[in-house]
Amino acid sequence: MGDDELAEIRGLSDSELKDFLRKNGISLAVEEARRVVELIGRNPTLTELNIFNIQWSEHCSYKSSRHILKMLPTSAPNVMQGPEEDAGILHFFDDGKDKYGIVFAHESHNHPSQVVPYEGAATGVGGILRDVLCMGARIIATGDALRFGDPHGKNRNYVRYIGNAVVDGIAGYGNPVGIPVIAGDIYFNDSFDENCLVNVVCLGIIKESDIIHSRAPKNSEGYDVVIVGKATDNSGFGGAAFASLVLDEEDRESNKGAVQVPDPFLKNIIIRATYAVFEEARKKGITLGFKDMGAGGIMCSSSEMGSDAGMGIELDLDKVHTSMNLPPFIIACSETQERFTWISPPSFTSTILRIYNEEFELPKIAEGARASVIGKVTSEKNFLVKHKGEVVCNVPINVVTGGIRYDRKKSPRKRSLSEPSIPETEDYRSMILNVLSHPNVASRTKVYSHYDTSVIGSTVIKPGLADAGLIAPLDGVNVGVALATDCNPKYSRIDPYWGAANAVAESMRNVAAIGAVPSGLTDCLNYGNPENEEAFADFYEGVRGVADAAKNIKHKKTKEAVPVVSGNVSFYNESKSGKAVDGSAIIACVGIIDDCNKAITMKIKKNGSSLCYVGERKDELGGSVYYDIHKELGKNVPMVDFEKEKGMIYGVIDCISEGLLLSCHDISDGGIITAVSEMILGGDADGKIGARIALSTGIRTDKAIFSESSGFVFEAEKSNVGKVKAAFEKYGIKVNELGETGGNELVVNGGISITIDEMRKAWTSGLKEALE
Amino acid sequence: MKSAVILFPGMNCENETIRALDAAGLKAELLRWNTKKNLADYDCFVIPGGFSYEDRIRAGVISAKDPMMDRIKEESHSGKLVLGICNGAQVLIESGLVPGFSNEPQMALAPNMNPEFKGYYCTWVRIKPNMKNRNAFNMLFNEGDVINVPIAHGEGRFTTKGNADEIRSLIAFQYCDENGKVEHSYPTNPNGSMLGIAGLTNRQGNVLAIMPHPERASFDIQTKAYGFKALGLNFFRSMKKYIEERK
Repeated sequence: MGDDELAEIRGLSDSELKDFLRKNGISLAVEEARRVVELIGRNPTLTELNIFNIQWSEHCSYKSSRHILKMLPTSAPNVMQGPEEDAGILHFFDDGKDKYGIVFAHESHNHPSQVVPYEGAATGVGGILRDVLCMGARIIATGDALRFGDPHGKNRNYVRYIGNAVVDGIAGYGNPVGIPVIAGDIYFNDSFDENCLVNVVCLGIIKESDIIHSRAPKNSEGYDVVIVGKATDNSGFGGAAFASLVLDEEDRESNKGAVQVPDPFLKNIIIRATYAVFEEARKKGITLGFKDMGAGGIMCSSSEMGSDAGMGIELDLDKVHTSMNLPPFIIACSETQERFTWISPPSFTSTILRIYNEEFELPKIAEGARASVIGKVTSEKNFLVKHKGEVVCNVPINVVTGGIRYDRKKSPRKRSLSEPSIPETEDYRSMILNVLSHPNVASRTKVYSHYDTSVIGSTVIKPGLADAGLIAPLDGVNVGVALATDCNPKYSRIDPYWGAANAVAESMRNVAAIGAVPSGLTDCLNYGNPENEEAFADFYEGVRGVADAAKNIKHKKTKEAVPVVSGNVSFYNESKSGKAVDGSAIIACVGIIDDCNKAITMKIKKNGSSLCYVGERKDELGGSVYYDIHKELGKNVPMVDFEKEKGMIYGVIDCISEGLLLSCHDISDGGIITAVSEMILGGDADGKIGARIALSTGIRTDKAIFSESSGFVFEAEKSNVGKVKAAFEKYGIKVNELGETGGNELVVNGGISITIDEMRKAWTSGLKEALE
Repeated sequence: MKSAVILFPGMNCENETIRALDAAGLKAELLRWNTKKNLADYDCFVIPGGFSYEDRIRAGVISAKDPMMDRIKEESHSGKLVLGICNGAQVLIESGLVPGFSNEPQMALAPNMNPEFKGYYCTWVRIKPNMKNRNAFNMLFNEGDVINVPIAHGEGRFTTKGNADEIRSLIAFQYCDENGKVEHSYPTNPNGSMLGIAGLTNRQGNVLAIMPHPERASFDIQTKAYGFKALGLNFFRSMKKYIEERK
């Protein structure tokens, strides 16, 4: 078979087979390689072996997680597309004629970002944009959830390098493509010292009738397989398999080759050309299949598009536009960026080629970039790949895409947790300022200012100005989409179930705090090695926490679960010594607000208005910023009371919709005192109105003001407080009066006073100190 | 009245620019760099923001050399309005159209000088019209107007080796504080631009290079959450009024 010899697996002993696999860069386990032989009934070619290597990686097959993800609520009345395709779609708006949806996807790019942070983060953004675009949507916004190591710990230099380069990578890709960042969050802690997390969310908008599926259309025998984009090279070969291994510091240099090379300039133009293809196809009433080329490259995208339609695929690798001479398994499986696969009726293929190659001049824009016809849809139900006239792969297509499943064992991690005995703070002023400058609390402006937050001109609330970002994606329509991402890793360190449940609750609170109804979720589940029983137990508990919160904090309008419409699982996040990162079920919540003009931010608006809060202050400081400052973890993690959480969220939404609130902020990191401080400062730290508050609870003052039990603080005209109380009363929630706005300082319980300038200095310095 | 939004490869602000032009009554059409359409059919030309030719060499340089710019120059010589926003402004400066003293570049948009934020910087700033240089782009603004607009650039510092006095008379918009006072230091001036220049015209006043994005501050929904008035549309309405009066 020339370049592509048969791998003589049958005759090899286990140890010989192991050596053979390693020598050829195949990460399949010995028993998996034998399973390949069994499935296809003969020794595989090297190309076939590489295909299974990728298709059976954790990244592509979800082999350890798929059955556990079934716990998540994925169907609900507002779901237009569940998690089966590249992105989910939530119902957004009807204009009486058309039904519009929000396309929503979430991906991790953790290992690439740890190895080559700029390119890793940039290609993370690139990948998620493709997932949304390939549903036929217009891309409207992104958000980034980032987790970095301890900026003051032993690995601080590398941590800071990674933090800055990841932010630059996100900006360096998203800004040129021209997609605004509207949301995100950042946490630092030592569990991420050797394995950062870079999770990216993307939103798009689409009319229901315009949805394009990532599969071959019906009766598509003889349709063309067209690939478009950058010339295929050997970059990112084995990226999926690489994402499914523990990072080994010594392999750092060799792993760099598994990270793809970003080209936002080319992507900018491909996206615009693709919009033009959508438009032509709609005009002519043509049904196409369209899929992002991500993990597994040409092989993965084309085989899945064929298999999902019950069809076969025949490819000729000699027709693939490549930038160099490559062996067949690399052409088939390389993860070269900025590529897509179309399935098109032959009558429309010339239009696709004309738009990309002539109208948008891809070959002139980037060397070797173009659209090429590389194969056909067949009725044979085989995945047949030819190279230089020889067959290098011929396998039943459902065997290629069928995947495998592992039932991993789980055993709960042994945690020795206890509540610390910290004497009550004597110097509250300093402690409040310390909390405000803590890297997990401090203003994020330093980072957000690197991102274009207003390109496209639809941004209503930029990130940081409120608990969620907001855009109005349809011209002339005031219905808006809010986005927030959350997950406090230290809660998960104490209890993975409550860590995940809190992430869901907080993300919902965040979109509610601007007035939007929490309407759908994505989850990016970042955990350790699934072969490790404790790490797998963390994962299992995390999924259970997401599921319980999503099912119980019901959608305000549909009265059913808030659906999880897409997501991603990232395993093997751990340190060199095998210690898993804090399990992180990073949740992105989409909220929908009927009128963007009613949305509010967190900044205090008026002198002399009333400050109130909901949500009982409890002795739940486990994982809190306050304990962290005392170098303690604690045990009492905030536990979400789903019924109360729902009531608070509904109450806030009703009050904002009726125009009763002037500003609102959820209570989370740093507790109620941080929430009030941030309301005084406002997202841009330009606030000028202070507040005088008094808090009386059943617990010690330091615990009361720094407790991170869930809740909201809000500002209302004094004359409206009665109406606000009545609105919450409907849901069984008690509104507590906290104080009054005014002056140029924060005064707490009569004795503690801090000027706005002092607060501003602390709050705006924390992130700078963590990243510079 | 018809406007053309000229898209060079890598630009990305066409959506908001078209929306604002349409709202101002300058019905916009998007033309790609390789369009065969006749530019004489349009009343004005807008080069939007973005990263044309991925800012290779220096922002705006490659587009400035694109044959399309010769066509635009020709149209501008007939007195038609040409507006460059952000990357579009960089193209106009690199092509020499602004300030237009000669056919060669006479100024540069240099990397921002900002003590807090290095490189690309996206934030809201304030600008005011220069009442001493009433022109096609600021004629509908009033004395005392403070316009809140976003900036989103890494190279926005107007600078020249030439005569500052000559440049001074061409200023159309300057960075200012909330009371309309021009300050040359950060944070009022976000990029260290000479004379606090945010927008500069050519001598004839029919070509403007502006770094902030008025098209992103043209509708209430874009500014309401910040507590600002959306004054950006006056910018495009000024252009329309000018074209009407000229006809």
